[in-house]
Amino acid sequence: MNELFLNNYVIVYLFSEAVLFLIALYAFFKDISILRFWDFNNFSSKQLKLEKQSYLLSTIATFIFTLKLTLLIYFVYMIDSLSIIIPGAMCGAGVISANSYGMSLLFVKLITIFTFLLFLTLNNLDLKAKNYPLLKFKSWVLLAGLLLIFLETYLDIAYLFNIDLSVPVSCCSALFGNLEGANPLPFGLDIKMLLILYYTLFVSIILSLLLDNKLLTAVTLILFAVISYYAVVYFFGTYIYELPTHKCPFCMMQKEYYYIGYFVWGTLFSALFFGLIWVIIGLLKYESKVLKRITVTSLVLFVSLCSAYVLYYYFKNGVFL
Amino acid sequence: MRNNSFFYFLTLNLLKEKRRFVGIVLISTLLIFLLSSVLFISSSIKHTLNQTLIAQPDFIVQNIKGGRVSPIKDEQVDKIVDIFGVKKVTKRVYGRYFFDDKYSALIIGVDFLDEQSNKKLAKIMDSVDLKSFLSKDNMLVGQGVLNYLKSHYYTSNYNFLTPSGQMQKVNIFKALNVKSSLLSNDIIVMPLELAQKVLGLKENELTDIALNVPNDSEWANIKAKLESLNFSTRVVTKKDMKKAYENLFNYKGGLFLVLYLIVIATFSLLLYLRYSLASSLERKEIAILRAVGWSIKDVLKLKFLENIFLVIFAFVLGSSLAYIYVFILGAPLLKDIFLGGANLKQFTTFTPVVDYSVLSTIFIVFAVAFLGSVLIPVWKIAVTEPKEAL
Repeated sequence: MNELFLNNYVIVYLFSEAVLFLIALYAFFKDISILRFWDFNNFSSKQLKLEKQSYLLSTIATFIFTLKLTLLIYFVYMIDSLSIIIPGAMCGAGVISANSYGMSLLFVKLITIFTFLLFLTLNNLDLKAKNYPLLKFKSWVLLAGLLLIFLETYLDIAYLFNIDLSVPVSCCSALFGNLEGANPLPFGLDIKMLLILYYTLFVSIILSLLLDNKLLTAVTLILFAVISYYAVVYFFGTYIYELPTHKCPFCMMQKEYYYIGYFVWGTLFSALFFGLIWVIIGLLKYESKVLKRITVTSLVLFVSLCSAYVLYYYFKNGVFL
Repeated sequence: MRNNSFFYFLTLNLLKEKRRFVGIVLISTLLIFLLSSVLFISSSIKHTLNQTLIAQPDFIVQNIKGGRVSPIKDEQVDKIVDIFGVKKVTKRVYGRYFFDDKYSALIIGVDFLDEQSNKKLAKIMDSVDLKSFLSKDNMLVGQGVLNYLKSHYYTSNYNFLTPSGQMQKVNIFKALNVKSSLLSNDIIVMPLELAQKVLGLKENELTDIALNVPNDSEWANIKAKLESLNFSTRVVTKKDMKKAYENLFNYKGGLFLVLYLIVIATFSLLLYLRYSLASSLERKEIAILRAVGWSIKDVLKLKFLENIFLVIFAFVLGSSLAYIYVFILGAPLLKDIFLGGANLKQFTTFTPVVDYSVLSTIFIVFAVAFLGSVLIPVWKIAVTEPKEAL
């Protein structure tokens, strides 16, 4: 037996994931019957039953979403706390890369949350109208979300069972920092170009949101997310740590940095997710001022937070790193 | 709030139907109380040990013979001092002295004229008037030791029986202060040479050697160098110790948690049944609400908020009771599971640390199980046709 499975966080995490899995399994069958038999113009008792079931599904989805969001934060925290047990790891970065499942697990988690967020938005719009116009579509979205949960449960197990405590893992400076001169940035960018792109994309997202241009918003948002990841890890992060060689997306979630990482990544993903949902419902001919406002707010928060760290450092020390 | 009347109705309903929820709240509170007490104890001990660990030296060099720790020769110290990057190399002499079968104290020999690698010890030394302390055979004792000696009528000195069979008389100089009792309750601090005599070591023999390496990226390197000094050397690092503590308390807490989850599962089943067999009165109420124009969504919202309220209420109540039980009353009964009554008899109080991760752990375990099990029954009640129920 692996010592990992006696860690409180791991036990609680696996337990919650198992409960959610069971609920998701139940919802999965209900969702399939809705997708198969739904016919709004039919007045049979079966249709009535399905309408009631769709309420159950939206309740379950709300439940799952709330918990998944909490568990994502909990998961990241757990990963961080495991770094004491796993040899060589100093923060979450090492633990998550202890085997090849870790990164995909984190990725699937984010997509799951996005899918459920999309479902909840669609559900909200759907219930406002009288004839359930989006029901088929939202049920497909839910199906995708539930399948993602199954995948996630599999990855949870595969990841945690395959962490070998006798093999040391790399720490974040080995994973991100010390690359012996190789350029870690994509498309052959350097830091200066990266920052120019970062701020240009930021402005263009705001502009395309103002112009209501869906396609442009989607493209710029996705590009911005990619660029932001690199910008935070390789530039802004160094100002958070106040150390030019410390490049890590995980360490900033530790207590030493006042858990600021949760806020940094939280605002970025909130901007990305709400922005994309705004685009998707826009394509279905719905408008939402609220979503747009949330996107802009989180985006501005994210960018100003990152920039504030740089400015703060400059005003304090009179130099850039 | 936007729908004020909704919340008004919710609270009104909860207050009116108090009796319906009393059972659930009682059991929930009890379950949360149990879990929180155990987790509070384990995190408090972990905290205390980590505090101790911070003050510990980074490395300890021991001599191993046949898998057992045996005295190390003090010429090793000179070799270690020559390694670059090593600071505060301290000769350490310590061991347990058994006053009788049941009571023992840790004797720590200190070279008072040297700098101390243990930061806590260094603090203790600062408060002692060295000149008068070293003029005779004196010792500093922890509160627990002092109490033991007093109860055996040794008020000013004690005669230690050394392994060679001689008596060694040592005066009690002063008692150490009571703070952080786990660390200093049963220790005796005395000069190095005296400790060697009491513990039966030769003049050039030490228990082990402690040292600090300020630059922690050099740790692995220094460890390799220390190990290559001698074939029989074992090097223990601070990180090893931290990991060992972590595993020890994970083991105890984890075992409990696994058993606890079974209890939670049973409780969920009970909840599921309780809500599935909702009384006809409850169904009627829902039917009336539906009949006066509430949608299924509203009813679901009402029922859910009701349950979330119950969970939060039980959580706050249970964890505050646990706080009182552990940190104010000192966790009678449960304490022995963690501390093993016999070993650490002197342990008095738990340092109150409330770790938010512990609290969120408790909350997640409970909320997931509770809300997950009422989810489907509550929906079944909410979608009942008013016509059927009335």
